[in-house]
Amino acid sequence: MTAVIRTDALTKHYGRVHALDGLDLVVEAGQVHGFLGPNGAGKSTTIRILLGLARPTSGTATVFGSDPWTDAARLHRRLASVPGDVSLWPNISGGEAIDLVYRMRGGGTGPAYDTARRRLCDAFQLDTRTKGRAYSKGNRQKVALIAAFAVPAELYVLDEPTSGLDPLMEVVFRQEVARVRDAGATVLLSSHILSEVELLCDRVSIVRAGRIVDTGSLAEMRHLTRTEVSFAASARATSAAAATVPGAEGVREDEGRISLTLASDAVAVALPRLAELGVEGLRVAPPSLEELFLRHYGASDAPGEGTRR
Amino acid sequence: MRTIGLLLRQRARRDAVSLAVWLAGLAALAVAGYPGVRSSYGDEQERVALLGTVMANPVVLLFRGLPSGAGEAQMVAFLLLPWLLLLVALMCSFLAVRHTRGDEEDGRLELVSATAAGRTAPLVATALHGVGASIVAGAVVAVIFVASGAPPVGAALIAAGCTLAGTVFLGVGLVSAELMPTSRAANALAVWLVVGTFALAGTGNALGTPSADLTRMTSSALAWFSPFGWAENTRPFDTDDAWPLAASVLATLVLLGGAALLHARRDLGASFVPPRTGRAAARPGFATHLALTVRQSRAAGIGWIVAGLLVGILSTSLAGVASRIGEGNPAVTSLLQALSGTSADLSRGLIVVFFVMLGIFAACAATQTVLRARQDETQGTAELVLGGGLTRTRWLADHVVVAAACAVLTIAAGIAGAAAGALSGGTDADLIRAAAVAGAGQIVPACLFAAWAAVLVVALPRTAIALAWALVAIAAVIALFGPLFGLSTAVVNASPFASGPVPTGEGVDPRGIVPLLVVAAVGVAAALGGMHRRELVA
Repeated sequence: MTAVIRTDALTKHYGRVHALDGLDLVVEAGQVHGFLGPNGAGKSTTIRILLGLARPTSGTATVFGSDPWTDAARLHRRLASVPGDVSLWPNISGGEAIDLVYRMRGGGTGPAYDTARRRLCDAFQLDTRTKGRAYSKGNRQKVALIAAFAVPAELYVLDEPTSGLDPLMEVVFRQEVARVRDAGATVLLSSHILSEVELLCDRVSIVRAGRIVDTGSLAEMRHLTRTEVSFAASARATSAAAATVPGAEGVREDEGRISLTLASDAVAVALPRLAELGVEGLRVAPPSLEELFLRHYGASDAPGEGTRR
Repeated sequence: MRTIGLLLRQRARRDAVSLAVWLAGLAALAVAGYPGVRSSYGDEQERVALLGTVMANPVVLLFRGLPSGAGEAQMVAFLLLPWLLLLVALMCSFLAVRHTRGDEEDGRLELVSATAAGRTAPLVATALHGVGASIVAGAVVAVIFVASGAPPVGAALIAAGCTLAGTVFLGVGLVSAELMPTSRAANALAVWLVVGTFALAGTGNALGTPSADLTRMTSSALAWFSPFGWAENTRPFDTDDAWPLAASVLATLVLLGGAALLHARRDLGASFVPPRTGRAAARPGFATHLALTVRQSRAAGIGWIVAGLLVGILSTSLAGVASRIGEGNPAVTSLLQALSGTSADLSRGLIVVFFVMLGIFAACAATQTVLRARQDETQGTAELVLGGGLTRTRWLADHVVVAAACAVLTIAAGIAGAAAGALSGGTDADLIRAAAVAGAGQIVPACLFAAWAAVLVVALPRTAIALAWALVAIAAVIALFGPLFGLSTAVVNASPFASGPVPTGEGVDPRGIVPLLVVAAVGVAAALGGMHRRELVA
């Protein structure tokens, strides 16, 4: 596979603030790639560099193999983007803004665009006659999303695209991402909404303080983590017995339930022993993305955190 | 009471810089008054002569106050008072809209109103803040006048006039903020009312009855419909009547009360004039960034073009009259020659003066258009277009192109107006030729300001807007008032407006056109080159 986006040791300094500090990101063609991190981790800075709106302090970034800083205009005809903080022209209606952005991206007129635009405006329930200044945050977001999805692109760069959208509209958004993915496009989806990333993304990169701290498919990332197993305490299934489960660590008893952790790739090995103990109310919980995420953000005082170490 | 105190402090802090700039401008104008009159119209004879000319040619009164005698102090009041009033009026109307509809539109008012402040306290705080600013403005003017040696009673009247002009237009700003859905529309309505009542007072004075010795004018009834007319009819340093200011006090109370009533009858975010909806889909031609830039500049551009047309009409219709009076009046002739920087005949000189004004309008139009690029950048919409197949260089270039077009159209309108004025006053081909030359001569200076603005946007984005306007203002003041206040020719000619080509008896004096052209071209090239290398700065 070829990399659509590749950054090498990308740094970006704003005065003494190091927004990016050696970021290596690779997004392969056809992926829906989740770009995860809390506010201020460097997600938007990375995206601004990828769009040629900001220049890296050092390191390189390529999109479709060329430098976005020098080739921005040409690249932008192949990609569609939604900025992190959508602002519209106050005196121009949403419909006009959608058409303008589409045309500036090089889209011609034609029934295909009209159909796509009408379908999207209906799906997102947008009143296209309203002027930019009168839209709420969610509606501004819809305008940017419609402008992005109305055009067939090879790459979609979406910076926190669902902020301000209601749950119904989030569903529409996920359908659109699935549609463009099926059409073969690549998507870089920056977000801090983990459930969204978990539902949509094939691969995830977690960014912290301007660096990628973990990257891979969700399955791969889980591979390296520990799965939490818990069951009801009984006469046979005691804490002492639980410690004899192969690979068990962090055994503890809390409110009548015994919990322990297993390496995620060694859960099957431990099952016969659990069966011997006749455990009841068994719960096997693979780590959620949230836990993976918290692990990288060192939330050591978060509940349950100690069991994973 | 405590929340109002907090809101007042917040307003004072937010406005500290902008009010300081307004007050500094007001102070500078007031300071310039006495020395200017002493150097240009030092003796009584010259002042009587000037007033005589004015009476015979009352269009001048559109830009000046109410003639009330030929004394030195009376002359200062005649020349300066309307402009002092205008500055305070604009300061207060912008202040009113900024803290009401402006905050409301951006959602800040919702944040504040959801606290103990509620719906009313912010409006009350804004009104108190504006009244306070008006009082400070009046005090600044009073101190400067007294320090310059003006009689204290007249100085107090001028100060009171300024303060009350401030409070009246504070009320106008507050009411239009209640009526209009956006701060832009509210500011537009308020500014139109300021300019409209300013012109109404001028017209009212021009249509008045002159006294027998031609040194005093009695306003016609029209002037009494304008707050500017009320303040001018106090006749500071002459009869020193305070009672016309009662009308200002009454108008202030009515407007502030009206704003409060309207405010109590609407929801937060609602307006009495409903917001307009737009088109559901864009017109076919709305497909490029250039089209977008034209669209964004259209409304303001039309305003400048209309202003240019009016200046043009005035220049020639006035020039005809002036040359008839000027022949018997050496004081006026020498004044106009000083202003226009030529020793040519009077009407041609007057056209040059008016076309300096036209050049300033064109430069304002161009500067405003280029600076829209910076606004586009800060409000985040630039990201939308630069994320869609547009180079940074092209983005700035489109703004510069539209700016130049705005400047050229403003000047073309001025020349057309001048031709119309000349033709209506009896054909005079020479006058039209002079207007065409003087107008064309201002195109390059105007474009130079577009180039400077572009360089500033690229090199010093965060301060570009303030610096670019400061450059225009300084150059305009030097070109318009420099000769009047006795600045040396070298200083005056440093203003681009004063170094464009001018018509002479036989042909054209190119003056500084070549250096202007070179600087403008280098500036545009440097700005576009720099934009190629610059990233977006919020």
